[in-house]
Amino acid sequence: MFEIPWNVIAMQFFFGIALGCIFVLLSSGMSIIFGLLDVVNFAHGTFAMLGAYAVFVVVSLTGNFFIGLVSAVIIVGIIGMFVEFILLKPLYGKDPLLPLLLTFGLSVAIPDLIKIIFGLIGKPVNYPEALSGIIALGPVIIPGYRLFIILFTLVAIISLWLFLKKSDLGMIIRASTRDSLMVQTLGINVSRIWTIGFAIGVGLAALAGAIAAPMMSATPDMGVDMTMTAFVVTVVGGLGSLGGAIVGGLLIGLVVAFTAFIAGEYSSVSMYFCMALILLLRPRGLFGEQGRE
Amino acid sequence: MVDNSTNTIQQLHAPPKPLVVYGAIFVLLFLPLVISTPLATEILIWAIFGMGFNLLLGYTGVLSFGHAAYFGLGAYSAGLAFRYLDAHLFVGIVAGILAPMILACFIGALAIRKRGVYFAMISLAFAQMLYFLALSPLKEITRGEDGLTHIPAMALFSFSLGKPLPLYYFVLVITAIMLYSTWRILQSPFGKLLQAFRENEERAKACGYNTTLVKFFSLVISAFYAGLAGALNTVYLGYVPLTTLFWLTSGTMVMMTILGGKGTFLGPLVGVGVFLFLQNTISLITPRWELFVGSIFVAIILLFPGGIMGTVEEKIAAYRMRRASK
Amino acid sequence: MLLRTDKICKYFGGLKAVDEVDFTLKKGQLKSIIGPNGAGKTTLFNLIAGAYLPTKGKVFLKDKDISRMTLNRVSRLGVVKTYQINHIFPSLTVFENLRIAAQVRKTSFNFWRQAASFGEINEQAEQIMTQVELKEKRNWPASTLSHGERRYLEIGIALATEPEVLLLDEPTAGMSCAETNHCAEMIQKLNTDLGLSIVLVEHDMSVVMSISEEILVMNEGRTLAEGTPREVSDNEEVQRVYLG
Repeated sequence: MFEIPWNVIAMQFFFGIALGCIFVLLSSGMSIIFGLLDVVNFAHGTFAMLGAYAVFVVVSLTGNFFIGLVSAVIIVGIIGMFVEFILLKPLYGKDPLLPLLLTFGLSVAIPDLIKIIFGLIGKPVNYPEALSGIIALGPVIIPGYRLFIILFTLVAIISLWLFLKKSDLGMIIRASTRDSLMVQTLGINVSRIWTIGFAIGVGLAALAGAIAAPMMSATPDMGVDMTMTAFVVTVVGGLGSLGGAIVGGLLIGLVVAFTAFIAGEYSSVSMYFCMALILLLRPRGLFGEQGRE
Repeated sequence: MVDNSTNTIQQLHAPPKPLVVYGAIFVLLFLPLVISTPLATEILIWAIFGMGFNLLLGYTGVLSFGHAAYFGLGAYSAGLAFRYLDAHLFVGIVAGILAPMILACFIGALAIRKRGVYFAMISLAFAQMLYFLALSPLKEITRGEDGLTHIPAMALFSFSLGKPLPLYYFVLVITAIMLYSTWRILQSPFGKLLQAFRENEERAKACGYNTTLVKFFSLVISAFYAGLAGALNTVYLGYVPLTTLFWLTSGTMVMMTILGGKGTFLGPLVGVGVFLFLQNTISLITPRWELFVGSIFVAIILLFPGGIMGTVEEKIAAYRMRRASK
Repeated sequence: MLLRTDKICKYFGGLKAVDEVDFTLKKGQLKSIIGPNGAGKTTLFNLIAGAYLPTKGKVFLKDKDISRMTLNRVSRLGVVKTYQINHIFPSLTVFENLRIAAQVRKTSFNFWRQAASFGEINEQAEQIMTQVELKEKRNWPASTLSHGERRYLEIGIALATEPEVLLLDEPTAGMSCAETNHCAEMIQKLNTDLGLSIVLVEHDMSVVMSISEEILVMNEGRTLAEGTPREVSDNEEVQRVYLG
């Protein structure tokens, strides 16, 4: 047996965490939407793909990646508002499978629209210059951009948490997640809260897509894989739990990174095996509430 | 006995009269005269797939978003048997049916207890698992992205199925058997139970039914249909494309069933026919047919969630109600 | 003793919905559970039916412990509940509604034989349809029935599963005065003619007082009083709770 030097393992660990951070952003958005609206958003990855294209467009116009990140969230958030308002609202209170089916329809149609506008071939997004180098922590070498992803996600998730915990709007959102009828009786327009919640959810997806864009470039068909990943993370972490999205996202990131390193051809399959294992051992997911699944 | 003639009101989604079953088969006899034989064959194969899927989604109310797993596994099992074992036509088809049923037992045991949306996600994830397994780790046997080729042409009692028309009628015989079986199942105590279950799961439970078991059986039966369709698809194409396991195959089945009308007897047949016809026509004009199909699907969800046959049945029922109340 | 609970408790978080209640039902008895809103009547009812898992305590059916069993298993053993809100199969006909319930003990997983050819089941469904007076609506979808008719169908579905103990949850809710009286008569007939043991949760005092053999009065999750209608209505504590 040959030995793998520890610094290589540490690097893989870092890669895994960075990948996991993208999954965390993606799945926390999914979790918020499910918790608030009871909608499983099949088009979640599609919104992430739109985020990647938004960053591509804004970067090629302004040349600034960070403006791109912010505008991706805003643009996709606004698109999300329209989608929720026009397409999803009529379905509330009917068969709970209908929103899932509708967003599935979107995930079939929208990538084709992108193909018509931007062509079949993916659009590369350059790393921001300040982050394109590598950073050496002793013998461990990390690309600067991955470190940025980790720190950025940390900031984003903490802000999200503070927003939900401390701000008035955040508290209303949390209250509506628990009991929307109650919030309604307090004289708050829950319908508007739902629209905002959906926008925040897909905004997080857009952030995930945008931040991943420099590493994998924006392609029309990237959405489905991201939806699939979000599903797996959600099943692993537990449906509708923010903590589950974070831990599940990081876990799946690590699993994918290490299998890619050890047995490359299993890298795409590994997360599904991980999910099956969790289902066997802990059916409601790591953080899921009993009975919610 | 009670006099039925005084009351003509039919329940919604009632199983059809036998005439509908025989009528449908009769119409299908002449399908190759109207559209190309390969397209007609494809419609039949997907219709078998759809009947099983409808049993699960339409009559039981369980949405599986990973039915490509059963269809694809059926296609590969038959294909592998034909290619590596030189299996007889029927042996291959049986292999193509059994493997997905075993898979359904496994997935069902793991996930069928979950509530609807959760099961949809999990079934999709399992289908993806199979897709990626066939793509890369198992590519020595599945031939990965190229799909499984070099499958010998099939013959039935020294009667070649290589030509389109004999193949069509071979598939039609099987379709007719499945159509009849579906009709039988819907009239059986189990079929009645499925419908009651979809209407009100809680009450079915209070009546003493083990509802988990009902969903489980429905899933396994549905996998039978999917596997059979997959195996026939292998016979029809002469090879197994990797896309049989792709998520869009599951998605297409979902769209076809909703389009035709979930929970209606002829829904899958109509849905499959209209969908494949549209797909063929639109793709002549533009390669971007998914945009159209996806948008049409979204519109149906919003405006006619009952699909084509569901809307027709509602109209008929409403008409009968009006007439009866006069 | 046909059915009894032993110090049964159900807590929802900090709320003690049912707290150490001993409930007993003799064979052939018609016993009511009453109490003001939030007294824990429906919770107790659901504990007996197997719809809720008890926090503490046990439920026994003829000395068999059924406390941890699921709703469907309890139902198979013969303790069948009806629902406060209508819980029927709306797009199936009245007859189909009853037949589904009637086939549960005989042939649930037969895939092939035609349901119409099971004579015994069909006869049973027809018979129950007569009992709950819905014969005229035989082929109507359940969703087209009036409120009162749906309440009857609700009872009919439970009857069709051949229960030993019938648990009725506010059967007369939403009925007019005349309908209520009629329904009470029907319930009494089930008890006397068919010998069914019945547990009744009911709001309408006149119904309770006229048809119950025994009454259990609950308040704030606990037993307040128990006895014949006469004993209960003479009880001072009961009067205090009801009259304030």
